This record gives sequence, C-alpha cells and structure tokens, in this order.
Amino acid sequence: MSGPTTSSPQAARQYNCPWCGHASDASSMSCPRCGAPVDVTKAVTHSGWAKLPPIRDMTRIQFGDSTLQIEGKYVPVADFKLGAGAGIYFTHHLLLWRDAQVNIGVMSMKGGWKRLFAGLPLVMTQATGPGRVAFSKDEPGELIVVPLDPGQSLDVREHVFMVATNTIGYDWFQTGIWFSTYAEKSQETHYPIGMFMDRFTATAGPGLVLLHGSGNVFERHLADGESILIKPTSLLFKDPTVRMNLHIESPGGAKTFWGRSYLRYLWLRVHGPGRVAVQSNYPMVEDPDRNLAGVSAGSTQFTW
Amino acid sequence: MEPLQRIECQWCGAQSPTGATACAACGAQLDVKNLVSDSGWREAPRLRDMSEVRFGSSTCQVEGEIVPVAEITLGGNDAVFFEHHVMLWKDHSVALGVLPLQGAVKRIFSGMPFVVSLASGQGRIAFSRDATGELVVLPLHPGMELDVREHAFLLCSHSVEYSYTRVQGLKNILFGGQGMFMDRFVTRGQPGMLILHGYGNVFERKLAAGESILVEPGGFLYKDSTVTMDVETQKLTTGFFGGVGMSLARMTGPGRLGIQSMYHHHRSE
Repeated sequence: MSGPTTSSPQAARQYNCPWCGHASDASSMSCPRCGAPVDVTKAVTHSGWAKLPPIRDMTRIQFGDSTLQIEGKYVPVADFKLGAGAGIYFTHHLLLWRDAQVNIGVMSMKGGWKRLFAGLPLVMTQATGPGRVAFSKDEPGELIVVPLDPGQSLDVREHVFMVATNTIGYDWFQTGIWFSTYAEKSQETHYPIGMFMDRFTATAGPGLVLLHGSGNVFERHLADGESILIKPTSLLFKDPTVRMNLHIESPGGAKTFWGRSYLRYLWLRVHGPGRVAVQSNYPMVEDPDRNLAGVSAGSTQFTW
Repeated sequence: MEPLQRIECQWCGAQSPTGATACAACGAQLDVKNLVSDSGWREAPRLRDMSEVRFGSSTCQVEGEIVPVAEITLGGNDAVFFEHHVMLWKDHSVALGVLPLQGAVKRIFSGMPFVVSLASGQGRIAFSRDATGELVVLPLHPGMELDVREHAFLLCSHSVEYSYTRVQGLKNILFGGQGMFMDRFVTRGQPGMLILHGYGNVFERKLAAGESILVEPGGFLYKDSTVTMDVETQKLTTGFFGGVGMSLARMTGPGRLGIQSMYHHHRSE
C-alpha cells in the first residue's frame, strides 16, 4: 500500500494510511488525518482482527485550519486548537480545560423526551474557535479518530462518542436489540447495547469523529454474508451496512430437570458487509438471569 | 580551570552530574526530552520503572508503570506522612503513628473518615493508589507553598507543614454539595519531598501573572498557592428543562498549575 511513486529523488515518498486511506508524505511520524503512526505495520491476528495502533503521545492531526493534538499515554487528552469560526460539538462532561475566549453553546437536539427516558444526555455542547479546548474521558484507554468522507456514515454505541467536527451531522436511531425477563410481578426489558445508537454522517465536507475505547481497540472487515458473535458491550462502532441481532447461547449439560437451560450467554451477532470495531475492556452485560419473557425481532437462540 | 558542568532538570530544577540519565531529586529522565504540547502543557515526567530518588537520608523507588508503587527506604530520623489507605506493605520495623491535625473532628463529622498516618524508623514501606495513574514527584525547596486537591497526595516528608482548608465557595456546586477540601503543604527553612498521585496522565503549566485558564474541577490536581481558583458556572439551556450547568474553575496565575486527565470518584466524597 505504501511505497515510492515517482522516479525523481526530490519528490516525497507517498504514504497511504492503511487505517483511513489518506495519502500523505511518508516523512512525517503519523498520518495527519487520523493520527495513526506511520511506521507501524498493520498487525492483524490470525482470525482477522486488526489492532488499531494507539496514537503516539503528542501526535498532531489536521482538519481545516484547526489542529488536534493527543497528549498522554494512559488517559489521553484531545487538545483542540480551533481556527476562527471552526466548530466542534461534544459530550459536555468530557471537557477538561479551555481558553476563556472559546465560545461554548448548546446544540439543539430533536426528540428530547425520548432521549431523557432512555438516559441519554439531553445536551450536546458546541465550541467555536478561535481558541483552545481539551477533552478527556475518565477512564484509561485509547482515543480513536475516525475521519469521514462526504456521504460516509458511522454508527457508534452509546456513551462512546466524545467530539465531532461541525461538518458532521448527528442523528440517532433505536438499536432494536432487547430482551425481557420476568421480574417480581411484571416484566423488565434489558438493552445490551443500549436503547439508542448514534449515527454520524459527513454532509457537505469531510469531518472527524473522536471516540474513546477502553483497553485496546480492534477492527475487522466483514464480507457480505460473513457474521461473527461479539460481546454486546464491547461494540464500539460499525458501518451502517452492518446488521445486528441478539443471539442467546446456552451451554450443553446445564439444564434443569425439566430440560430448561439455566445458563445463558448473551451475544451480539454482527453481519457484513462493513467494518466493526470492539474494545477489549468492556463492562459486564447485565442479565438478571431470570426466565426470558421475550426477545427482539431477529434474535436467535442456540442450545448445545 | 574547567567550568563545573551540570544538567538542570526541566521538571524540578535540581542539578545532576553530566552523564546522569535520571534526576536524583525527582526521577525525571534527563536523556529524554520532556514532552510539551503545542498549547503549553508539560507532561509530568514518565518515571522509568525502578527509578530512584533521594530525600533526606531516605530513598524512594518507583515500581510499575500503569499503577505505580512508591517504595520508601527510611533512613536516619526521617519520617513520612500519608493517608492510611494508600499503604501497600511495610517492614515490621517501621513504626506507625498518627499525625496530630487541627480540625480533624470537623472532618469526621462531615462524613469523611480522615486519618493521616506517620511512618518512622528504619525500614521499608510502600504506597500505591487503586487506579491507573502517575506518580508526580515534587521535591519542595525551602519557602514553597503548594495547594493540592484533597486525597491526591500519596506521601510527604515529615519536615513539610501540612494543613487543609475547606474551599467554601465550591460547596454548593461540586461533589453534590459536600464541598471540597484543599490540602496545603508549606516548607519553611528545610526542603522536603512530596509525592502526589494523579489519575490518568498529569500535565503541568506555568501561568503568567493575570493569565487564566478554565479547568474542569475534577481535573484540577495541584497549584502554587499564588494561583487563585474561582468557580464559574455556565448555564447550557435547552429550553424545556432549563438545561444543565457546566461548572469550570478559573485558575489565574502567576504560578504552576497541574491537572489530571481522569477524575476518580472516591467513596468518601
């Protein structure tokens, strides 16, 4: 993918970033669009998962006339230097520090009531340059920069999104992944990946989406018709072409006298074509282990 | 005659002989450039595993990188004080006592158990915190005053005067209304050693007189006492429910300011 392109010794070696595809001069230490280190070869496991290289400390990323610098190793900070009029929007509690001159405002979001009931943040905050503003999540892990080309979309699981540039439109949709169990005198519905998922779309121009992955982050391209089972809470993001459904698996030999399985594992089955990315440090999937009352459409079950 | 050559540490200002790879006073690597971001924040020096620093007649060795441990070998009449729950292990010969504190009763009534222990005698004792972070080694010169976020100090040498103040203005805004305590460390005629723990990564910046920056209160770690701190609340209204208030602390120089990139919720808060 990378290599010299012209015969002239004065011309710079062209480098195509294997992560975002951006063409740049190979003499820099990292891709100016997504921050991935240049000299790191793509590490792909036997099973096809590519480890996203952690962005090196102090890496600079360009977008428009603004720059983003990633600082710190265990709990990295995204330090934005916004050009005049450049804007970003973000989850408000992730703000770490800012220059006094940066304008902070609120971005109105439709569907406020539904979001409130789902426990999602109601407020999307905006910052406009010129000036500096920095963000960090209160968790060790990696910052992932996903550049989007015009027309490209990205689906992100709840609470993963940190910052996006103003050129990126924000929308959200219902995941349609749920199961319900019997409670004391009623039913409880559980959402393994949340009730809603964020969708980011680059509209007129290209843009950047900044996400946080806990632990290490791995990405995989699924072919058309190819599917894999992942832990629901490990999902970070996916292409909109990737479909999902709930899969409940019960091990063999774990049955009651009446033949009902008393152990179950909850999975998210993801179907290609498209990209899917997971984090290696994921919260426990909540399952009160009571009997199942219902599952969402498209769910599958399998008992060994 | 040959002029005396020394390397000055960028972090603490102490001088080490040429050829030294780590500062003897604070452990910062001398052969690696201390990273400073474009916006002026200097990263706290990443201490190499097994770095050793000296203070008084004692040494401190820092072990581990993601959740580091500070191992102190106490010598002479040295003693260190610390919050008791950060103690990891110790030799039997190290004596444990309690630091007499003013106003300790008030703190206990406010719902926060608060004991500052004192370790003395000859032997080894080790400390660590229970989350990913960095140890910030701050050698204190005589005549320094440092304000540190409550619960952030790991250990401090006995010659340093320790006190704490309640930060009144913040009590309605921060931490669910319980307010915040600020630890204060003052050196008079003697130097001292203060080791802080920052959650995540730690960055430091020198603010000029009158220069100010707005910091998330959970990110504040330490500052020279010459830096003032005022909380500003900005209301972000969404119309229907009045929105949310975003509180930021305005830090105004002159002086040093240190921040941490992760805010850890303590049960006692």
